[in-house]
Amino acid sequence: MSVTLASVTKSEWIKFRSVRSTLMGVLVTVVLTIGLGALITTAIRGHWNQMDPIAKLTFDPVSTSLGGTLFAQFAVGVIGTLFITSEYSSGSIRTTLAAVPRRSRVVLGKLIVLVASLLVVAEVVCVATFLLGQSIFSGVVPTASLATGAVLRSVLFGGVYLTLLAVLGFALGLILRQSAASISTFTSLLLILPIVAFLLPQSWQSAISKFLPSALGRAMMSTSPPANFFGAWTAAALLVTYVVVVLGVGVVMLVRRDA
Amino acid sequence: MLRVDHLTKNYGDTVAVNDLSFDVAPGVVTGFLGPNGSGKSTTMRVMLGLDRPTKGATTINGRSYHDFPAPLREVGALLDAKAVHPGRSARNHLRALAASNGIAPSRVDEVLEFAGIASVADKKVGGFSLGMSQRLGIAGAILGDPGVLLFDEPVNGLDPEGIRWIREFFATLAREGRTVFVSSHLMSEMALTADQIIVIGRGRFIAQGSVDDLTSHAAGTVFVASNDNARLAERLRDLGGRVTVNERGLDVSELVSTKIGGVALAEGISLSELTPQRASLEEVFMDLTADSVEYGSAHVAS
Ligand SMILES: Nc1ncnc2c1ncn2[C@@H]1O[C@H](COP(=O)(O)OP(=O)(O)O)[C@@H](O)[C@H]1O
Ligand SMILES: [Mg+2]
Repeated sequence: MSVTLASVTKSEWIKFRSVRSTLMGVLVTVVLTIGLGALITTAIRGHWNQMDPIAKLTFDPVSTSLGGTLFAQFAVGVIGTLFITSEYSSGSIRTTLAAVPRRSRVVLGKLIVLVASLLVVAEVVCVATFLLGQSIFSGVVPTASLATGAVLRSVLFGGVYLTLLAVLGFALGLILRQSAASISTFTSLLLILPIVAFLLPQSWQSAISKFLPSALGRAMMSTSPPANFFGAWTAAALLVTYVVVVLGVGVVMLVRRDA
Repeated sequence: MLRVDHLTKNYGDTVAVNDLSFDVAPGVVTGFLGPNGSGKSTTMRVMLGLDRPTKGATTINGRSYHDFPAPLREVGALLDAKAVHPGRSARNHLRALAASNGIAPSRVDEVLEFAGIASVADKKVGGFSLGMSQRLGIAGAILGDPGVLLFDEPVNGLDPEGIRWIREFFATLAREGRTVFVSSHLMSEMALTADQIIVIGRGRFIAQGSVDDLTSHAAGTVFVASNDNARLAERLRDLGGRVTVNERGLDVSELVSTKIGGVALAEGISLSELTPQRASLEEVFMDLTADSVEYGSAHVAS
């Protein structure tokens, strides 16, 4: 018997599911996505008749029904962050790394657990909030169907977006090692950067805004992304690139630094 | 066997371990003794592949820690009993640890039972006393039935009954032929727990040997009483002895008792007492590390 990727993944799965913060994080993700999705779609249904004709024309029932992900993204970021920073705050990282001296394998094991479990949760939640939203819209507001390719893609990309953000939170935790610092950095990337971009001169703003993680998410979850946004697949590829780069830095630091 | 080979570890400007070398043999309990801040924990972290040596190396049974396919089956360690996620149960903590090295889950129940914490196995570790945490740490260390065991200050926080239990446990591990390496900053503790002792101070090697070796090699004094203490003192001083006079007799150092007896005989002084004073291990330790205590002697006292 020896340490294999399978044994490490199994170990990380036991750790992941055996703490309350994971369960709470998942619960909050579900409640925020579906609950806020229901709230947003209900509000729009109520105001649909008073809405401006141009707004009606560009209305996207898919991304609107997925609106709760804008809040749930913070919950998944915290899940990802705590998966590693809790090991530093408790000191158990030393037990982990003594048991598995090949550190990149620890990261890979955690990543498999994080991506697999979040993908399942986030996809189920995104499909559910989409279906709930369409049923709330139905009869008053135009609706979309998963049978349409672009609609299915947008909904599934909702789950992919949340999963990538969980990995981003994890990667920041790997670098910063502290829960509070990692979570506030994560929050800054998603909340503060768009505000900073908004304060820039108009020409810069349109050039820069579309690169922000939140804008990439919006592009991924739109059936036809608005002007000034990347196409959905380009946005997804760009977000994957960001996450992989941050993760790469995190792995190098984990391998190089003393535990 | 554990080997530390010219190990140096710097943290920025701090030299935590300084060109340290020693071997730890199997079959006995080896104490690793030094004042606080002398580099014991650092040495152990390097042994476990957690900290990278600045210079030198440590090996376990001739191999680098990173080369073990399943480290927990070779080396068990307890570095910090409180270093467990407080929200996880003891059982889940051990299950995760076992799974990582392909150790059967049934072994978890065995070690929980052995450590005497089976009844609280499903409780969150955050609520554990330090003593219970130490027991959990010990359960984790023996999970893979390893031949080499490292314990960093394991006695801290244990009640007297727990201390007796852990001492017997170390002795049993050693009798089974395992390598048992136990650190402490408390001399009195080591004297009772360890067969062999390695003393370090300020990251440097100071001494290694059995408790007996260390106490007898120390520059002990000889107590002597005679019918003419004043004249004897004078003669002994002439021969390079350091003599302090007290009301009962003389405390002599730098001269061995046979030499003192010879001098008395030659001078026609009759001796009523001639006793080599064996230094206590505590005194030896104080003496050995006097120059290397980082924050004053308060840390050395038991
Ligand atoms: N991670 C670290 N970063 C900086 N200094 C450290 C670190 N670990 C230990 N030290 C320093 O190294 C010295 C040895 O510490 P340590 O190995 O913990 O000693 P001991 O376990 O004998 O008390 C101390 O001066 C300590 O402050
Ligand atoms: Mg220490």
